[in-house]
Amino acid sequence: MTDKSNDPVALWQNMIGEMEKGFNAFANQAMASPQFSKVVNQVGGATAGAQKQLGELMEKYLLTMNLPSRAQMVGMAERLQSIEGQLNEIKSMLHQIQGNNANTGSGNPATPRPPRTKRPPPAGGEQK
Amino acid sequence: MTAPAASDLAGFDLSSIPERIQSEVQRAIARSIKGVEYISTSGPSLGSTPKDVLSARGTMNLYHYRPVVDEIYRVPILIVMATTNRGYILDMVPGQSFIEFLLKRGYDVYMLDWTAPKPEEKSLRMEDYVLDFIPDCVRRVQQDSGESDVTVIGYCFGGVLSLLYGSIFADGPMKNLICFTTPVDFREMKLFQNFSDRRYFDVDHLVDSIGNVPPEMILSSFEMLRPASRAAGQVQLWENIWNDEFVKSYRMFDRWATDTLPLAGEYFRTITKDLMWDNKLFNDTMSVGGRKADIANIKVPMLHAVAEHDHIVPYEAAKPLIAKIGSADKEEVILKGGHVSLVAGPNAVRRLWPKLDSWLCERST
Repeated sequence: MTDKSNDPVALWQNMIGEMEKGFNAFANQAMASPQFSKVVNQVGGATAGAQKQLGELMEKYLLTMNLPSRAQMVGMAERLQSIEGQLNEIKSMLHQIQGNNANTGSGNPATPRPPRTKRPPPAGGEQK
Repeated sequence: MTAPAASDLAGFDLSSIPERIQSEVQRAIARSIKGVEYISTSGPSLGSTPKDVLSARGTMNLYHYRPVVDEIYRVPILIVMATTNRGYILDMVPGQSFIEFLLKRGYDVYMLDWTAPKPEEKSLRMEDYVLDFIPDCVRRVQQDSGESDVTVIGYCFGGVLSLLYGSIFADGPMKNLICFTTPVDFREMKLFQNFSDRRYFDVDHLVDSIGNVPPEMILSSFEMLRPASRAAGQVQLWENIWNDEFVKSYRMFDRWATDTLPLAGEYFRTITKDLMWDNKLFNDTMSVGGRKADIANIKVPMLHAVAEHDHIVPYEAAKPLIAKIGSADKEEVILKGGHVSLVAGPNAVRRLWPKLDSWLCERST
């Protein structure tokens, strides 16, 4: 068998791992400085402002082109989601009704829920 | 002294070289074939354990996973997922699914999972999460299961939300609380502290400008904690692309890690100001919607699982939880692994899941 310490592939993998650790440690040290925070947040702040302006501009452009805006698409998605939500509610109610019918012996039997009677395995016993 | 044999020259076993070359050539060919396969196929299907949606309201989704055994424990479990990530990290693929593990061990499992908050949901506040979404889900779990007691499991920031909920609703119905890698002392999240330094980070300007905090920003802040890891991961992927198991695992975790959710603007503002800046949870001054949230109020049995090499929630940030919580029955377990490998993947299958089962089964009757 090849000795791991002399295996070129293992040495390469080890080197990549060490480089990753070293670079992460170095970057973390640099990122812990207040200067880093200052620069990143200045850039981030400017980007956020620009993003907002661009968003408003796009909204106007889409209106001119007679295309649905993001807000309108979101509105439609909202309505679809609300319909889906109501369907889920109805499904859940139907399940409950079906379950109640099954318990009282009337109607179609629903998928039975297992009884809540399980006990922990005895000490030292292994569960399957 | 005798000279080294040619076959041991410089410590190399020269006789194995032809075999190694052959193996490397085979791998190189396999890499080319599998590389094309990788690009042209999608990853494994995730989060496929059969479930029913009990409620979907905006960003909030409540699932019930269908039991798979003939007899279950009395107390149902509600898992509260972190608001930054998708819940399928706990339901990857059969054999590597925490949900599947719990179902097979006889638990009745529900999950409060999140979808991306829409632009109109930018006004969701911490109150909406702690005083509305979680209590609503707990109520629905009670109704659906017919049980008054509920065990709550919170992962990462889901743990923080569970702590806030438990401290405000200390009289019940939470029966047990389990937290995975849950930060309490936010001063100890040193890099996040620096990123959100109040001298330079204008959270009001950010939230007022863009509304919800975009997922790219959340992802970048996570990735900045280990900036070289993505590139190193891709090198590793290329080296192991001939190995189907490695590729499957890489794709699952990579997809999940990059599938970050945006955060509701007002909610993010509160996290920044109350937790990152003022460290209110640790200082016992936290309140939500005017209701004091002191974790010392929580008296139910509690298990806190933390990871030894967690780069997102360092141990120092999570450590004070066990001391601060009011429970008499409380335990902290420190397991090998990182923030994600603690809960998912082969390490979790061997370490956390059996530990959790042995702790919870006695408290679920």
